[in-house]
Amino acid sequence: MDSYDAPQSTPRQSASSRPENCFIGATPLQKRLESVRKQTPFVPTPPRRKIPQCSQLQEDVDPQKVAFLLHKQWTLYSLTPLYKFSYTHLKEYSRLLSAFIVAEKQKGLAVEVGEDFNIKVIFSTLLGMKGTQKDSEAFLVQILSKSQLPSENREGKVLWTGWFCCIFGDSLLETVSEDFTCLPLFLANGAESNTAIIGTWFEKTFDCNFSPLAINAFNLSWMAAMWTACKMDRYMAATEFLWSVPCSPQSLDISYAIHPEDAKALWDSVHKTPGEVTQEEVDLFMDCLYSHFHRHFKIHLSATRLVRVSTSVASAHTDGRIKILCHKYLIGVLAYLTELAIFQIE
Amino acid sequence: MDETVAEFIKRTILKIPMSQMTTILKAWEFLSENQLQTVNFRQRKESVVQHLVELCEEKHASLNDAALLDIICEDVDPFDMKQFKSSFKKVLQRALKNVTVSFRDTEENAVWIRIAWGTQYTKPNQYKPTYVVYYSQTPYAFTSLSTLKSNIPLLGQALKIASKHQEIVKMDLRSRYLDSLKAIVFKQYNQNFETHNPTTPLQERSVGLHVNMDSRIIHENAMEKERVQRITQETFGDYPQPQIEFAQYKLETKFKNGSILAEREEPLRCLIKFSSPHLLEALKSLAPAGIADAPLSPLLTCIPNKKMNYFKIRDK
Repeated sequence: MDSYDAPQSTPRQSASSRPENCFIGATPLQKRLESVRKQTPFVPTPPRRKIPQCSQLQEDVDPQKVAFLLHKQWTLYSLTPLYKFSYTHLKEYSRLLSAFIVAEKQKGLAVEVGEDFNIKVIFSTLLGMKGTQKDSEAFLVQILSKSQLPSENREGKVLWTGWFCCIFGDSLLETVSEDFTCLPLFLANGAESNTAIIGTWFEKTFDCNFSPLAINAFNLSWMAAMWTACKMDRYMAATEFLWSVPCSPQSLDISYAIHPEDAKALWDSVHKTPGEVTQEEVDLFMDCLYSHFHRHFKIHLSATRLVRVSTSVASAHTDGRIKILCHKYLIGVLAYLTELAIFQIE
Repeated sequence: MDETVAEFIKRTILKIPMSQMTTILKAWEFLSENQLQTVNFRQRKESVVQHLVELCEEKHASLNDAALLDIICEDVDPFDMKQFKSSFKKVLQRALKNVTVSFRDTEENAVWIRIAWGTQYTKPNQYKPTYVVYYSQTPYAFTSLSTLKSNIPLLGQALKIASKHQEIVKMDLRSRYLDSLKAIVFKQYNQNFETHNPTTPLQERSVGLHVNMDSRIIHENAMEKERVQRITQETFGDYPQPQIEFAQYKLETKFKNGSILAEREEPLRCLIKFSSPHLLEALKSLAPAGIADAPLSPLLTCIPNKKMNYFKIRDK
């Protein structure tokens, strides 16, 4: 696939500053929602074209620096814009959040036996984690355990990591004033109790709101198609789908793994438009998988619930959990997630 | 002694090969040690038989005694539990100096075996034992293997030798429920199926078809629903299904859907896993729920009959 180049080729970039027009780059679902809001009749347009998110990371990013983001399970949240957040105050935020965490834990709100209260909070920026220059700079928050020995191991063990980013978040940027910083996608790894405490602090401090980001079957199918479309030198894992069947009285899970080369061959056979992925192609790709399955088992997978997709690029679960496996397509994966987050906020 | 009984005994003894004669007569326990000592087994067979019949006459052999002899002849090498156990233990102990083997007899002619594995140099690990349940009257054994892969061939060897079979083959059938495996393997799962009355009208037995009080309301596709119910019932039966938790299919089949991938010769390599707390019951409910066609694919319905839940499917 082509690396991402001139902004002009993106429909999104050609949108004017009017909020209504920022939906030109929307998915069919968003378009429908928009027309319902405006109470205009929905006119079916040709299947929305979406550029496959296979861009390279920008030149000034050290792949080593973002390596720690890969192969980790992240829980996703959407985040409304932060009010009066400043990148120059990161050290102060570290201090304030640290104090807050310790206070909360001593209150007994988050009780974990044997917990070490010697923790340190670090705020840092993640350079290069953006789609366009307009995107706000991504930043990272980490809770580390303070080492008892001052000499060795200055940096303790990382207990919790959370990062905030915005990849191609133009549609959101255009709707807010300058006092706000838009970082709609939040990813957390670590104990749920820590996520809750940190979320509370951010909500209080910046008047924002976190909301768990679920991924529905429609978007999971898109992800599966787009990630299968990505060109890979080497495949690390099979392309795998998990469906949950709503039958009673017993639950039934169906896992369908296909050799990654075969999945790619199937996709290539379905794919017609160079450099783009269309709704039609996604539907056809999924239909092929359904029909192959039906031929053998006489079961209609389309009547069941898609719960998880996994490829060599990334894996995603409907509960809003994601694991990114390939640094080459990191930005691409995040771009789609940013879009979902923005959609949830609006 | 009756003429017919005498004749019967004579013919039965004649059938016994000379090599097994003393073994069988001893197992019969009818003729005493002393009596047997008087017989010259090196004579011609006819003479031996003649002598033995005379001895039976002396002791007034009845038809029951004769019948017992017949049984013993049939079951020449009766299963000897003690011998099985000692043989099994010996095979394992000869290979691995450190191994703990324990036995427990249960009814149904089954023996539970517990094996804790060690190596030439380390003591047996009592916390990861392997359990085997062997049904002596059948060619089946069930194992729960929580041990190193390297011990598995040795276990197979021990079972084979101790049970005096030629070969041991691992079946593609796995479950957490021993009773379900037994049900499938011994075909016991339709034992509850005693009171089925084939003339009972479908409506009374079916699930999901409501009785309508208002005759103006009809089910649009009542006929199709009935067909699905009937086929499901024919396939799965009325009885509770044996409980297994998963089925796995390794598919290497060509993709067939119009022009897509039409030129491709190679098959699609897929691995499909079904999992459920009670897989067969879940599969049974799919067609009535409209999620699957009826009849369901034989790949799924054959699981109890074929005694497999791991499959490799290729194009023919």
